[in-house]
Order: sequence, then structure tokens, then C-alpha cells
Amino acid sequence: MMSGTASSAWLPLYGLFYVAVMLHWARVAARENGDYQTFFSAGHSLAPWVSVLVLAGASLSGWFVLGGSGIVAAHGFSFPSVLVAGVSLALPGVFFFKRIWFVGQRLRLSSQAEVFRSYYESHFLVVVSTLIALVFAVGFAGLQMRALSQIIETLTGGTVSVLSASVVLGFILFAGSAIGGMRAIGYFGVIQTVCAYAATVTLAGFVLFWSGGFAALNNGLSALAATPEGAAKFLVSGVIHFTAGLGRGGELATANTAVANLSLALAFMGFQASPLALKIVLSTRNANGFGAGQTWVLAGAFGGLIAFAVAIIGAMGLIHPALSVEAMLARLQEGSPWFAATVFIGIAAGVQLLAGLALLTAAESAVRHVYKPYFHSTLSRRATVTLTRVAIAVLILVTVLMQSLTPVALSAIAALALPCAFQLWTPLLGVTWLRWITRPAAATGVGFGLAGVLLTEPFGYQVLSFLGLELPWGRWPWTIHSAAWGMAANLAAVLIISAITNRDAFGAEAREARDFLYNTLRTSKRSHGLRSTAWSAALIWLFLALGPGLIFGNAAFGKAGAEGAVWLVGMPSLWAWALASWVTGVGLVWFLAYKMEMASPYRHAIPAYEPPPRLRRDQSATEQERLRILVITGAAAFVLIVLIAFSFGG
Amino acid sequence: MSSPKTVDRDLLVFSIWAVLGFLGAGFLLEGLTRDAYWVSLIGIAIIVAAFIAHIIVNAVFDTGFANGEVALGIGGFGLLAFVFIASWFTGGMSMADFWSGLTLFSVLAAGLFIYLSTRHGLRGAFSKFHIKPSDGA
Repeated sequence: MMSGTASSAWLPLYGLFYVAVMLHWARVAARENGDYQTFFSAGHSLAPWVSVLVLAGASLSGWFVLGGSGIVAAHGFSFPSVLVAGVSLALPGVFFFKRIWFVGQRLRLSSQAEVFRSYYESHFLVVVSTLIALVFAVGFAGLQMRALSQIIETLTGGTVSVLSASVVLGFILFAGSAIGGMRAIGYFGVIQTVCAYAATVTLAGFVLFWSGGFAALNNGLSALAATPEGAAKFLVSGVIHFTAGLGRGGELATANTAVANLSLALAFMGFQASPLALKIVLSTRNANGFGAGQTWVLAGAFGGLIAFAVAIIGAMGLIHPALSVEAMLARLQEGSPWFAATVFIGIAAGVQLLAGLALLTAAESAVRHVYKPYFHSTLSRRATVTLTRVAIAVLILVTVLMQSLTPVALSAIAALALPCAFQLWTPLLGVTWLRWITRPAAATGVGFGLAGVLLTEPFGYQVLSFLGLELPWGRWPWTIHSAAWGMAANLAAVLIISAITNRDAFGAEAREARDFLYNTLRTSKRSHGLRSTAWSAALIWLFLALGPGLIFGNAAFGKAGAEGAVWLVGMPSLWAWALASWVTGVGLVWFLAYKMEMASPYRHAIPAYEPPPRLRRDQSATEQERLRILVITGAAAFVLIVLIAFSFGG
Repeated sequence: MSSPKTVDRDLLVFSIWAVLGFLGAGFLLEGLTRDAYWVSLIGIAIIVAAFIAHIIVNAVFDTGFANGEVALGIGGFGLLAFVFIASWFTGGMSMADFWSGLTLFSVLAAGLFIYLSTRHGLRGAFSKFHIKPSDGA
């Protein structure tokens, strides 16, 4: 056993090394950017393999080790959709990335907000994309940064407080994202991703070592499954329960239905439709890596990491409830502080990758896509970059303060990120595949979708409760996640409004994008002939791996119960079911990406679209007027909210 | 400004050492702390694997070790050798620690020799160290 000082020296030592490497790559990126010229999208020059790794790392690494293992530890294997998240996340990438990249390359766009502005000419969608990026930056990433700060406090024995750790992590984040921009996030993201992957595998290795091996771990699970309260953690409890939701009579213990699994998987799928994922996609040099990236890296390697390593870490927490990831690191710190430092830095790297990407995307969106076009169109490029750096600093300050002062609000905001991002599926489908989705339909659908999410999430009903309106349902009514409630409202609005609005009312850039995709990405006869097979395979997989078919997984490979668990393959039946779903899911992703040519490589140059020249008018008077209206509207809204809260709420 | 190929190569090298280097060092330290020679041996094997991966990356990008990498490698080797010798003299070293250190340095030295002789040939490898006065003219 080591002395306290020697033991606690490793974490700062490794931390300093991490910061040194980060600063090196920030410097390399800043030099290549020419300080500000290609700050926002790395000059669309990130190598495909870099983008693939960064996408996978941001999608599934640090936050999944903390959150995914937490779900397994709390709910057992009753949420097998968590273990198949690698495939769930790869599927949207296969649908969208190649086509979005083509549109972006043709119209020379570098972010989701720009895609929406060019294609739909919708201010609402631009603002929604920006707000979602902000929710990711402040809430989603902030919540995980808070978890990291708590781990630091534990590992240093309280020497470094949560607040101090948050501030230090905030400074590191600022340096990484504000100096080198998107290029630094891409370059350093590769190293962060592999570190996070290795850290997860290492931690899972230690869990197996502590528990005496895989068989011994499963013996522990088997003993738990034989207890009356433990057996439920190894079962999906039916297809659906018509409860009013958590907090309104619905029990958390019985919320693990098949539709809860399916709707949770839909929420995960929101990440690939988020402004963050599209920022990486649109900063990439070419689209040739998306097929391999989604199939082998995200669904294969990272999917396997979740199905095995994250599940093992979570299983340990399930058997020993006191052993959270934080407690495991504290235990590791006692005997092997160098491994504790390695694992912590890896997990922190994964979270920081996501946080850095979210901060840059949110700050860019707020400054470049909202402030500049609507309020200050004469802002120079250099000033835009400077203002974006300031915005990053402000966002970090806000999230650090919220981590310490309002953790509950932070958690409520964080819960909105994925389901809200999932609502962007419909406008993205309109851009990429479904040409019949009209502009008003896309915008209204997203509006309805967001309302659906807000009305089924704690943030929404807390706000409404503050204003005096008590909703009769709680979180996840009918055990359906807010992502699915939102999408139900979203789809209904899109279908109805598309049916009654003009499908040809698109601007010149949208028509150009539609024609370009139609003429360039025509599928071959062979893949056309495989369409029905693809639909069948995808629907069967969704039904069995994520949908109502999950209840077959309860007993397909053995069963749990008071008479003793009987597991045919030496592990819980639902875990084995999830592993089978992962393997077949990788096959499905491969089939869609390559055989259906949804993400297959394309090796021809894409010329830029030349828009007809337009006369630029002086917008300063209009912008001043807009600013005045914004201030007056904001003040009026504030007064109205205060009045309502005083009159009806509390 | 770095060329895209240089950046790709450097990213791979950093990634290799960030993963294998830290893991190898971890196992080596674990072995030294617990006086477990076999655990140290795993660490040494991982460090050797990192070197091999680094050399493969160099071969793919048709380049050798950068000057900074050579300086860091030799510096690190010297520092470790100094710590090893100092520990030996102070007498606080167990037999497992002694053999672990000896194995590490032997493997690294042998690896260096093999690398140089396969890359430059035996005579060429010698010439890398033996600089004739006329060379500078």
C-alpha cells in the first residue's frame, strides 16, 4: 500500500500530461487554422478516419461509461436497449451522414443550422438547432462534468472540492476548444477517443479481476436473480404499462417495459441528428469513411465495448450497489493509483471530447448563425471567431456555476438534450430522403415534437407547475420516453401539414440540393432490388432487439426466479439477447451501409453550387429594429411570466 | 504548418503511446510495487508492443523517428537507468524489481539494436554512431 502523498501524486501528474498533449494539439490546430480562417470547420479538411473516431468517441465513450453503467447498476438488464446502443446510434448515421455531407459539400455548408437555413429558409429551425446545441453544451455535458468533478473530489480525498475541480476542468475545456476550434477538437478527439476506449476496457478488466472472473461475476448475478426483489432486474416487464408516469403513480421499478426500451433507444438515436454530430460530418474532407465508421467503429467496436465492458462495469454495481464507477476508481486508487489515474483520465477525456464539441457548436451557432445574421451582419470573420471564443467562455462559466449551484436544474435540462435532438429527425429526413416534407411541415413538426418532449419531461412540468398549471401525468407516461411522445406529435404534424401545403414551395438552394442528391446518389439496380429485404431485416431487428420482441429475451437463454436462475449460456438471458442483437445489428448496419449504398464510398469530386449574385443591402437599420423588438419582447415575456407565476403558481 | 500526412502520423503515434504507453507503465509499476515479476513482464510486453506499433506507423508513412521522439526516448531511457542504478546502490530493491528492471533495459537495448540493423543494415547502424571527421567537411 502506498502513502497518501505518493498515491495522490499520480492523478495530477497524468492530468498535467493530458493538458500538455492537449495544448500541443491546440497549437498545431491554431497554426493550421491561421488563427481564425478555418476555426469553425477545419476548412472541411478533417480526415475521414479522424471524423469516424471523433464521432464514435463523442457518441458513446465517456458519458456512456458513466450513464450506461449507471443504468445497468440501477435497473439491471431490464433495459437491454442500453447495451445495443452502439447499433442504435450507428443506424441514424447510416441514414443521414452521407447525404447530409453531400448537401453540405454542394452548398458549402458547415453546420446543421446552415443546412436548415439553406434548405428550409426557416429561422425557427435555425434557432431550434442553436438551442439544442446550447442544451447539450450547458446541460448534457455539464452534468457529466459534474460527475467528473465529484470523482476528482473522491480521488483526492476531498483536497480538491467539486467546485475547484469544475473550474479546472472548465479551464482545460476552454483551452482545448477556444484555441484550436474544430480542428483541435478533431485532432485531440482521436486521442481522447482511444484513451476513453482503453480506460473502459481497463476498468472492466479490473471489475472481472475483483469479482474473480466472468463466471464468478455471473454467479453473483445469478444469486441476485434468485431473490424476489432482484429477479425483476433481469426481466423486461411486459410490452407497455398504462401508468400516468413517474411521479404520478407510475413506479420506477415497473417502468422497464419493451416500449420504454424502444423509446429510450429512439432518444439515443437523437445524438446522431444533433448539431454536434453534424458539425463533425460537415467538417470532414470526404464521405468515404462514414460506411466503415458506422459499421465497424461505432456499431462494431464501440457497440461491443458497451455490450461487454459497460455491461460488466454496470453488473458489478448491480451486485454491489455501493460500487459505482466513482467507488470503483476510489478502490483502484488505494492499491494502484497509476491505473486509477489512467482510467480516470480516459473517462474524463471522453467526456471532455463531448463537452468541447458541444461548446464549440453551441457558441458558433449562437454567434454565427443567430447573432451575426439577425443582429450584426457586418461582423468580420476575425471578430466572429473572437466573439465565439467569448461565448465559449461564457457557456463554460454558466455550466460551472450550474454544476455547483443548481444541480437539479442542470439534470432536468440535461434530460432534454437527446429527446429534443431526436425531433430533428423529421427536417433531416426532409433534406435527405423524404422530398415530400414541406417547409411549414418540418418547422411545425419540430415545434410540436419539442412541445411533446417538454410536456413529458421534468423540466416542462416544473416550469408549468411554477406557472400554476399541474399536468395530470408525470415523466414517461405509459412507460414511453419523452423522445417517442415528441416524435408522435412531430410525425402527426408533419404528415398532416405536408398533405395540405405546397410541396414545390422551396427556394433555389433547396431545389439545387434535391436535384443534386437525386441525380448523384441514384442507387444501383441491385440495391433497388434489395429494398424489400432491407425493410424486412430492419423492422425484424427493431422488433426483436429494441421493440416488443424483447419480452422473448426474458426466457430465450434461461430464466430468473426464486427457484434459482437457470442461464443456458452462463449469463442473464437478456444480456445474451442483447449480445445477439448487437451481433445481428452490426450485420444490419453493414447491409444498409454497403449493400443498400446508404453510406457507401463515393469517389467523385463535388463542385460547389454557384448561387445567382445578389445585391447586398445595408441591413443595419433592420438589425437595430430587430434588436429593439427582441428587447421589448423579452421584457414583456418576463413581466407576463412573473405575473402568471404570482397569480397562479408558486 | 504540418502537412496532413504528418498530422495523421503524429496522431497515430500519440494514440499508440497514450494507450499502450500508460497501460505498459501501469503494469510495470504494479509489478514493481507488488514484487510480481510476471506482472512487470506484461508491462514490458505492452511497451514493446507500443514500439512495434510506432515502427509500423513509421513504415506506413515512410519515415523514421522524429528528432523530438529520439530525444524523448533516449532521455527517458537515461532517466529510468539512473533511477534503476540509484535504487540498486541504495539497496531498496527486491529481486523481482531487479529482474524487472534488467529485463526492461535488456529488451529496450536489444530492440534498439534490432531496429537499427534492420532499418540501416549492420554497417549502416554502426555509422549512425560513428561519425568520421571528414563527414563534416
